[in-house]
Amino acid sequence: MKDKNKLNGKDYWRSLDQLADTPEFREFLHREFPENASELSSAVSRRKFLTLMGASLAFAGLAGCRRPVEKIIPYVNAPENVTPGIPKYYATTMPFGLSAYGLLVESHEGRPTKIEGNELHPSTLGKSNILTQAAILGLYDPDRSNSPLQNGNSKSWDDFIAYWRSEREQFSDNRGQGLAVISESFASPTLYRLYTDFKKNYPRAKWFTYEPLSDENIYSGSQLATGKNYQPVYDYAKAKVILSLDSDFLLTENENITANRGFAAGRKLETEKDSMNRLYVVENNFSITGGMADHRLRLPTSKIIDFCTALMNELGIHMGKPDLSSIDKKWLQEVAADLKKNKGNSLVVAGKKQPTVVHAMVMAINNVLGNAGNSVTYIELKDAVLPRTESIRDLKTSVQDKEINTLIILDGNPVFNAPADLEFTHILKKIEKTVHLSLYQDETSQLVNWHLPLAHFLESWGDARSLNGTVSVMQPLIEPLFGGRSMAEVLNLLINGEDLRGYEIVRSTWKSILKSGDFEFNWTKVLHDGLFANSQPIKEIPKISAAKIELYLSKNHRPEKLSAENIEVVFQQSPAVYDGRFANNGWLQEMPDPVTKLSWDNTALISPNTAKELNLKNEDLIKIDYKGRSVEAPIWIMPGHADYSITLTLGYGRKSVGRIGNYVGYDAYKIRPAMNLYFGVGAVITKTGKTYLLANTQDHGSMEGRPLVREASIEEYKKHPEFAKEMVGHPPLKSLWEEQSYDEGYQWGMTIDLNACSGCNACVIACQSENNIPIVGKEQVRKGREMHWIRLDRYFSGGLSEPEMVYQPVACQHCENAPCEQVCPVAATVHDEEGLNVMAYNRCIGTRYCSNNCPYKVRRFNFFNYTNEYPEVLKMAQNPDVTVRSRGVMEKCTFCTQRINSVKITAKNKGETVKDGDVVTACQQSCPADAIVFGNINDPKSAVSKMKELNREYTMLGELNVKTRTTYLAKVRNPNPALMD
Amino acid sequence: MTKTSNRIQIAETPLITGNQTFSTITDKVSSITEQKTPRMWYVLFGAASSLALIMFSLIGYLIWEGVGVWGVQIPVGWGWAIVNFVFWVGIGHAGTLISAVLFLFRQKWRTSINRFAEAMTLFAVICALIFPGIHVGRIWVAYFMFPIPNSMGMWPNFRSPLLWDVFAVGTYFSVSLMFWYVGLIPDLASLRDRAKNKIRKIFFGIVSLGWRGGNRQWKHYELAYLLLAGLSTPLVLSVHSVVSTDFATSVIPGWHTTIFPPYFVAGAIFSGFAMVMTLALVARKIYGLEHLITLRHLENMNKIILVTGMMVGYAYSMEFFIAWYSGNAYEKFTFINRAFGQYAWAYWIMISCNVIIPQLFWSKKLRTSIPVMFVASIFVNIGMWFERFVITVTSLANDFLPSSWDYYQPTFVDIGTFMGSFGLFFALFLIFIRFLPLIAMSEVKGVLPQADPLYYGHNGDGKGEKHGK
Repeated sequence: MKDKNKLNGKDYWRSLDQLADTPEFREFLHREFPENASELSSAVSRRKFLTLMGASLAFAGLAGCRRPVEKIIPYVNAPENVTPGIPKYYATTMPFGLSAYGLLVESHEGRPTKIEGNELHPSTLGKSNILTQAAILGLYDPDRSNSPLQNGNSKSWDDFIAYWRSEREQFSDNRGQGLAVISESFASPTLYRLYTDFKKNYPRAKWFTYEPLSDENIYSGSQLATGKNYQPVYDYAKAKVILSLDSDFLLTENENITANRGFAAGRKLETEKDSMNRLYVVENNFSITGGMADHRLRLPTSKIIDFCTALMNELGIHMGKPDLSSIDKKWLQEVAADLKKNKGNSLVVAGKKQPTVVHAMVMAINNVLGNAGNSVTYIELKDAVLPRTESIRDLKTSVQDKEINTLIILDGNPVFNAPADLEFTHILKKIEKTVHLSLYQDETSQLVNWHLPLAHFLESWGDARSLNGTVSVMQPLIEPLFGGRSMAEVLNLLINGEDLRGYEIVRSTWKSILKSGDFEFNWTKVLHDGLFANSQPIKEIPKISAAKIELYLSKNHRPEKLSAENIEVVFQQSPAVYDGRFANNGWLQEMPDPVTKLSWDNTALISPNTAKELNLKNEDLIKIDYKGRSVEAPIWIMPGHADYSITLTLGYGRKSVGRIGNYVGYDAYKIRPAMNLYFGVGAVITKTGKTYLLANTQDHGSMEGRPLVREASIEEYKKHPEFAKEMVGHPPLKSLWEEQSYDEGYQWGMTIDLNACSGCNACVIACQSENNIPIVGKEQVRKGREMHWIRLDRYFSGGLSEPEMVYQPVACQHCENAPCEQVCPVAATVHDEEGLNVMAYNRCIGTRYCSNNCPYKVRRFNFFNYTNEYPEVLKMAQNPDVTVRSRGVMEKCTFCTQRINSVKITAKNKGETVKDGDVVTACQQSCPADAIVFGNINDPKSAVSKMKELNREYTMLGELNVKTRTTYLAKVRNPNPALMD
Repeated sequence: MTKTSNRIQIAETPLITGNQTFSTITDKVSSITEQKTPRMWYVLFGAASSLALIMFSLIGYLIWEGVGVWGVQIPVGWGWAIVNFVFWVGIGHAGTLISAVLFLFRQKWRTSINRFAEAMTLFAVICALIFPGIHVGRIWVAYFMFPIPNSMGMWPNFRSPLLWDVFAVGTYFSVSLMFWYVGLIPDLASLRDRAKNKIRKIFFGIVSLGWRGGNRQWKHYELAYLLLAGLSTPLVLSVHSVVSTDFATSVIPGWHTTIFPPYFVAGAIFSGFAMVMTLALVARKIYGLEHLITLRHLENMNKIILVTGMMVGYAYSMEFFIAWYSGNAYEKFTFINRAFGQYAWAYWIMISCNVIIPQLFWSKKLRTSIPVMFVASIFVNIGMWFERFVITVTSLANDFLPSSWDYYQPTFVDIGTFMGSFGLFFALFLIFIRFLPLIAMSEVKGVLPQADPLYYGHNGDGKGEKHGK
């Protein structure tokens, strides 16, 4: 086995250490298995969580059937009546900054339970990501604000309407003098119409837009390069060579679903003769995109501008002299050569953390490479109010000049997330009258005169324009659970004092969009499809002025030398809670970070080298001093992180959001300056001597030379097409007895393509939502009791500072010779005739023997009664087709047996057999890379049978003769031969 | 009875010293149950029963809250509970071995220790049975384990070693109980005859089942005892073999080995003898039984500890050898990891206590030194607990997929429950020595010189009482 293992030349290692058997690393090893993991100062202990959960039984009365009053149109043919037990699917849209995700929401008797992508909508194409999947839990969050408050006292909407009507009189007289609005950016025909109405009505009023994480730099880059606000739309499927400059386009950049999909399409391999794209990534911290890279260059975020400048020079656009001290020149030249070789079929992208000038240069590079119009197209933004960090600085000035007496904060939480040096709290206190609309009674709500509850997007009428220009409608799936109002309703009220329903507001906008033909017919179709098909604007190739970029660069960029005393700070978006707005979403909080595998906390990430130099260990609490402010954060050593750089994750450390999100992690906004929102140089790190315990779901992992994830370069694959199977030699697998043949009827099986899987976690949350998987809290996760039925195992290979990262999704493998079944004394886990390893929860007495005997350790045990004390409103989020498990029983992936049975019943009623592709598991449905294929392996024509025929197919631990139904397709990388050492 | 001459008796260390007669033995042993309860007994019983109470309250807490109050997790689904179970079952082995196997082999020295060794077996098995009962997630449906005809269509899975456990340990307990009780009958009759108050008279009158000590009774009695001994003997081997299949039939590296049944049996005898030794030394001291439990008894037990300790040591090394010889990388890793991985400390405690400490008993001086053997017996018990810990926990904590590796640690509930099981064990034991004859009087009398039918013929002093009275 060992010799075969060398085939791909990789030695997988423990997450950090064991390469270097130095005392430091042994120390680190020791830290991996901490011995004092007793009680934590955990923000949410299980008991606290459950106790508090119980408290919100007050919402019990809300759990009835709350179908919206207005007619909404089911996605499939609308039945006349609801058939109990048969869910219906409605198209809607999730607005997200300037993006919009087209969704299809499953609704059981009037309550939405599961979110999928809308296959017709270009931003999702039927797929989803963690944030869209988790939105359903956000809807039912019992901590959402449930009433308007005036100075902390509960009021009704009528009170506010009366209040505003009286306030409004002065503003109609003085044309909005003293009135100001601060909102987040949006792209929506209705909101934009109301925005223009507002400006018309109150010409003297001010409108500011601020959000802590945005694509602002992309637009300012486009402004710089072309003088216009263009939105780049990338088609990763068309690119043969991709260079990402700090862009985590597979997870945290906008439109990551389509990016993931396109990227996977460009890497799809059926035989060794196929070709695949090549990805170069330059980044500071390891991202999942970096994990997928064929070549990855770690570079401090502040040096990427130099890399980009040098690349411009290499490509023949003169950009002055960059600082090349920390850049591998050979790497740069080979990348440039590779890009040139693939002109028109390459793509360069830059991440939102990169400054204006990098985005401008990237536009220029894509133009030079002939990618514009092919792998990247540009559209002009419409119906959009763009984010402008500058505007929050303007707000401060206006307030200081006493120009504002009434401030309306439409969504957003500036008290929490505004740049620290603006001291937004002080600004707010200086304003006489403040109104705040938000989902939660958050940090900002505490300091305003009026707090108004916002309706969730699944409760409101609205519309949105996605980044590629598609216009779609937001249909409410349920009446507002907590008496919230939508943004459109509130904005309309602000403008004319009229209390209109969102339905009417949105319809009146759409009367101007759907001008031709029968409006009612077209409107119905838009609602049904979830989008207006003909709304994509014309694409154009912009003209770029390189001289302007060069001038800007020479004015604005001064390279700085990094050292242990002069550290770069990078503020990154949390893949889970985004900018903090999802902090009260338990699924997201408990989701292991794709890269660090930490749940429930944010950390300060640094490289192993820098940690060694500063004598830091995992879980050390450090103090970061930056620009006169400081924050304390726990250290997590991240292999592959750039040296002398520290990455802080935003969105944690909230104080007022709810029982899940309060006081989880530390608040990195505390040191975030208004200038250079995303990174800066000049931080000083000091040890506090304290430690902070973190809940990690997989640091104790190494491949230990075991052939679990099997990987080869494309060259090796061409030479040894069967490499995956050849990696393990074992004697013939024979049984002592005659085995069940499983050759009749449906035989369910799955393949997971490790070449496609990027580790984005969408499947984890999709599974959690579909299968009613509880969250257990930090303390329980630390003990190793997380409940996820599917997990993403992450392994590193290669050197400590320049490792490669691979992912392996592992759920129940559905062994035909299942070791778990044999040892259960009460036959609670057994096999069915279709090859499923099924659990009879009612029979399980909880010996845990099955889990012990599971070689894949995919079984999950209810150590406590995790679900019993759910508040009523949270129970509405549960899938009625899946049993909610009680304390003391084992559970695990069922291959979504409820979906299989529902399809089988439908087929049987029609007298048909189940067609391939009719049964879709939740993980498969969500996977934007289509890495998971499921179906009947007894049908040689089924997609899954075809996948199992591919030469990359292998069985993990196949030598145990457990005969798994889930098999893997080996990973292949496509390194540039010129860069192979 | 073999024919023995006086000369040989002088040459051999006598089993019973102090020139005992039938009546001195009856007096000595019976008086323990008849005299006023010593203050020390109250102190010890108070301490032991408090510990037991702690255990019961922790079990209540466990049942109320869920198995999560323990440290078990995924991947280590079995923690201290199963370790304790195997530990206590192992302790329980010595009793049956001493009473049944040594009986069949006519090892007369067993008579002084067999009674409380048997009692110890019962109490250890009681302690053991608590753990599998409470370690399940849904204790209220634990009866699903039993093949009870029912209308739910439930039937246990006979392929599961856990089910075999239920039967093996259950059988062992009932046979041991029977064996112990049958052995007690003549002594209970002695107590009945000596009883001075009504309650004792009625109580011992009932439990002695009308024993009169007649010849016919003795004939039937001894045959019954022999049959029970024959019945118990295979159980000595089977119980721990079956317990070992909990591990051996699984696929987990470190568990999946064929050496487990003999290795577990040897380990069980090893730990059982160590526990008998600990208890015997204490009881002997407190009740002044030095003449009945002599150094010869203790030395014999130490020899058995030495032998079984080396068997266990052999098993440890053979596991390593096979792990290497098999060429199975997972197996190899598991054993190297045991010795040098995150649980190395437990492994080396186990090796020191189980393999190194018993080597002291090669020296006659050490194996006849009371303090040495007392300390050694305690170390062996510690070592054997760690053996089960090492087997159960290290194999699970680091199995096939490194991604699921984790570090298991007990909580205060785990620790308290285990400590409490000692409390229960000692409380039961104290009740036993207070109310029942802790030495088998009738059997000890059988090994006295006076029991030799020729004894009277040679000396004719007629001093001895009639057998069995």
